[in-house]
Amino acid sequence: MSSARITIREVTEHQQRLVVRRGIAQPVEGTLDSGGMVTVWLRHGVGYCATPRLDATGLAEATGRARAWAERSQASGLFADIDLHALLDELAGSHAPGDAGARAASALGAGQAGAGRGLDSGRGLRHAGGPTVQSALPPRADLIGLLRVESHALKAHEDIANWVARLNITQSTQRLWFDNQLVSEEQAQFVEPNLEVTAVRRGVAQTRTLGGQYNGFCQRGGFEVLQASGLIGGGARLADEVLQLVEAPACPDGVTDLLLAPDQMMLQIHESIGHPLELDRILGDERNFAGGSFVTPDLFGRYAYGSPLLNVSFDPTVERELAGYTMDDEGERAHPVALIRHGILLRPLGSALSRARARVQGYSLEGTANARSVGWHRAPIDRMANLNLEPGEASFDELVAGIERGVYMRTNASWSIDDARNKFQFGCEWGQLIEDGRLTQVVRNPGYRGVSASFWRSLDGVGNADTVQVLGTPFCGKGEPGQVIRVGHASPACRFRGIEVFGASA
Amino acid sequence: MSQSQPDPRLNERRDAQAKARADDHVQAASRERAEVPSALRRTFADLGQALQASHRPDEFLCAWVQAEASDYVRLNQGRLRQAGSVHRQQATLRLIQGARQSSLTITLSDDPGRSMAEQIRPALESLRAVLIDSEDDPLLDVCRDAVVSEDVGPGLSSSGRASGSVAAVLAQDAGVSAQVGLDPLIDVLSVRDAQGDLVAFIAAGRLGRGFCSSSGASQWFERHSIAVDGSIHLPVDPLTGDRRAVKFGWSGETADPDALSEAVARARLEAGLLQRPAKRLSPGDYRVLLRPRALADLLGMLDWGGYSARAHLSGQSPLARLRAGQQTFSPLLHLAEDLSAGLAPAFQTDGYARPPRTELIREGRFADWMVSPATAREFGIAGNSAPPSEVPESVVVGCGRLSDDDALARLGTGVLLSNLWYLNFSDREACRVTGMTRFACLWVEHGEPVAPIEAMRFDDSLYRVLGESGLEALGDRAHRMPNLDTWEGRATGGILAPSALVRALRFAL
Repeated sequence: MSSARITIREVTEHQQRLVVRRGIAQPVEGTLDSGGMVTVWLRHGVGYCATPRLDATGLAEATGRARAWAERSQASGLFADIDLHALLDELAGSHAPGDAGARAASALGAGQAGAGRGLDSGRGLRHAGGPTVQSALPPRADLIGLLRVESHALKAHEDIANWVARLNITQSTQRLWFDNQLVSEEQAQFVEPNLEVTAVRRGVAQTRTLGGQYNGFCQRGGFEVLQASGLIGGGARLADEVLQLVEAPACPDGVTDLLLAPDQMMLQIHESIGHPLELDRILGDERNFAGGSFVTPDLFGRYAYGSPLLNVSFDPTVERELAGYTMDDEGERAHPVALIRHGILLRPLGSALSRARARVQGYSLEGTANARSVGWHRAPIDRMANLNLEPGEASFDELVAGIERGVYMRTNASWSIDDARNKFQFGCEWGQLIEDGRLTQVVRNPGYRGVSASFWRSLDGVGNADTVQVLGTPFCGKGEPGQVIRVGHASPACRFRGIEVFGASA
Repeated sequence: MSQSQPDPRLNERRDAQAKARADDHVQAASRERAEVPSALRRTFADLGQALQASHRPDEFLCAWVQAEASDYVRLNQGRLRQAGSVHRQQATLRLIQGARQSSLTITLSDDPGRSMAEQIRPALESLRAVLIDSEDDPLLDVCRDAVVSEDVGPGLSSSGRASGSVAAVLAQDAGVSAQVGLDPLIDVLSVRDAQGDLVAFIAAGRLGRGFCSSSGASQWFERHSIAVDGSIHLPVDPLTGDRRAVKFGWSGETADPDALSEAVARARLEAGLLQRPAKRLSPGDYRVLLRPRALADLLGMLDWGGYSARAHLSGQSPLARLRAGQQTFSPLLHLAEDLSAGLAPAFQTDGYARPPRTELIREGRFADWMVSPATAREFGIAGNSAPPSEVPESVVVGCGRLSDDDALARLGTGVLLSNLWYLNFSDREACRVTGMTRFACLWVEHGEPVAPIEAMRFDDSLYRVLGESGLEALGDRAHRMPNLDTWEGRATGGILAPSALVRALRFAL
């Protein structure tokens, strides 16, 4: 019987959900979920077992089941040509002395690894140089009071048919053991505020949200996240905007220039850069479900993904960004890296195991520490974590001024892309025409469509740091079995030339 | 009578079959119960007793349980990629005191060293602390009756035979025998050849749903199932980069490697056609034949608030114009939630019994909506014990008269759509939906499939596609498609749907 190495990942999450819907404070809901994933690594096979029972007996039983799966994997798995024990040694080699203690100390803030390492990226994005200061959240009753104030402001008119103010707060603790040694302990608090308002007038229904219907404004931290989110005072603004939208004409159809705000850019980055660069998709793991990728392993290092203005990084160290961490779920130390530099594709979002599989196929790729799982009950797969488009030089006004005829779109409302992550169509909540370099008429139901492989080459203006927003979503779905995970996306406003846009049906 | 109006005799027959099946379930379950209830069931029973023992005189306690003991196996290139087991039981504990309520979902452990009362005590203390500064909930409505029901499905052995021994059942509880039981299925899928590689996912084991309360309610739903969802992928075309694949699937209550082999063989046969040069379609309207999966994908968009009373009354329903009578679907279209198929529990999270059948669309018109107890209170309307999501779990689409044998001939020249992908609303008010074609979608000429098509984006209103001038015919046979979602555990529910012949679907890109 071959020897086995064992890793255990213990995860505890405590979430509290506060909602005021249509003026009624909903009952407080919470979740307290905890358990462990035992992974047994044979030299050429790996097996998993998730158990809520973390006493010696429970872990021993789970180890037995995981070992049985590992033996099945060794007999007919994908790892016949990979020395998994050597891979674990490599991962262990990436750990720094005192990692576990350091992570506990970095609780609730951004990760430390790689901070200040001199990546020539992330201009305009604040990086944590140490533990991030986090202000305490007020008591629950005060938070509900705050939501109630904004809920009241959302209901600004009798045509407002739905109005919701919500706040999710999650505390997470994760520990990782390699062969009985604690190598990582990481804690974080995630804050997800949102406002949503729907108005109906003469048969036209429109919705505005604070950060999209997928909680686009979400970060790690405390009360300062809430303050930065725009929730406070946001009710009146969104109510005003939704009442403008129900009176607005449909966005015109045609090929025109397009200016995207960060809260649409984040979805554009997510769907047409993030997913296609996930190495497990490129290796075919997701072809049965989430899909493959138009990117092939031979393209790294030479493929022009976009115009020279396109710079994209994987960065787990941006202050407060949602998916920051110091070590991924397979134990690889994380640090920021450039994925696309001046438009050229450099590396995939590929974890250590995926990179080892690519090597077997003849591709020696540098990757990222991005083996992640949604919780204790799922095995890690390649995920995008924090994926950011770096700011350029143009002010927002300059971006607008550079458009003779175009549309400015804000806040994602609809998203769809093919299984190779190429042909996409997105819709936004808010549109505004740009005429002769000026923002003019508000339009409703703005949408646009394109093809990833050519869309990014039409990027011809990137906003400066003043236009950047650090956003994300807790709802990125992928994997078999399914996993819905947190990802962060920071982006400036961006301008594209010659895009097919469209509006509402008649 | 319109072409696809449900034949009441067929309904009666189906109801009788469902009842017989349900009776079988109960009898089989009784036999199982007489021997060894599953670990999931035992934990649920412990929880019910703990609730009764833990509540204070002025408190009402209830819990919704979502449990699974699952084996998950994914394969790529005909080899194991990830395989593992998950044992997870979550209870949403709800504490009610007067008109105030709060809930906390916790993970239950089957650690014999920790009693259930001990496990839930910290959660109850936490909930009591929350209630101190909570307000009355004007929408509170929960069933306080001591309703007792049990619906335990057959197939509790993964060996393909009835559960033989206590040891076998216990071993299966632990997930161990399930691994052994899945071996023949994994063997079928562990194939590598030049005809295209195989990617697949197996989800197997028990799942349970339950509602229990401090007043003695105990409603339990349990199934053992195995589902294989796979696809065969041809080599990527080196010139065009085009990717072609065909889907296959099999599900059952016990492992059946022969049936799975047949499904894979059928897919391989179909994959042969995909080797022809692909046809690139220009944007525009095309006559299409939607296979049942593709029709189910389209109709699945109506779950996004289409039937929800709350969505309708808060301006968010894509079927607002249908309900208002401003739009209609074809009179051929009938759609209902029907729980008699046994795919989903007949009770909801507030403990109320679900109606066996709710007509949602009748002859293309809005028939009824789904109203949860809270929505009924909020808007002052009659409820129908819908779940809080107000989404149908077990959908039945009425059949028509189009036989599978005639379908391609009736299509003539057009597109055969097997699967759709990543659907979303591009204009919710207009019920306008966008999405992609995926897997084996074929160009058909004069009733003969001649070539695969390159993936196309469609963007069209369902009022047009499935409207009176759009929907030409529905298939005469409904296909059962269980819900294979595994986001927070294996899902219950599914859809029974036929194929659909549509005069025009608009491709946009």
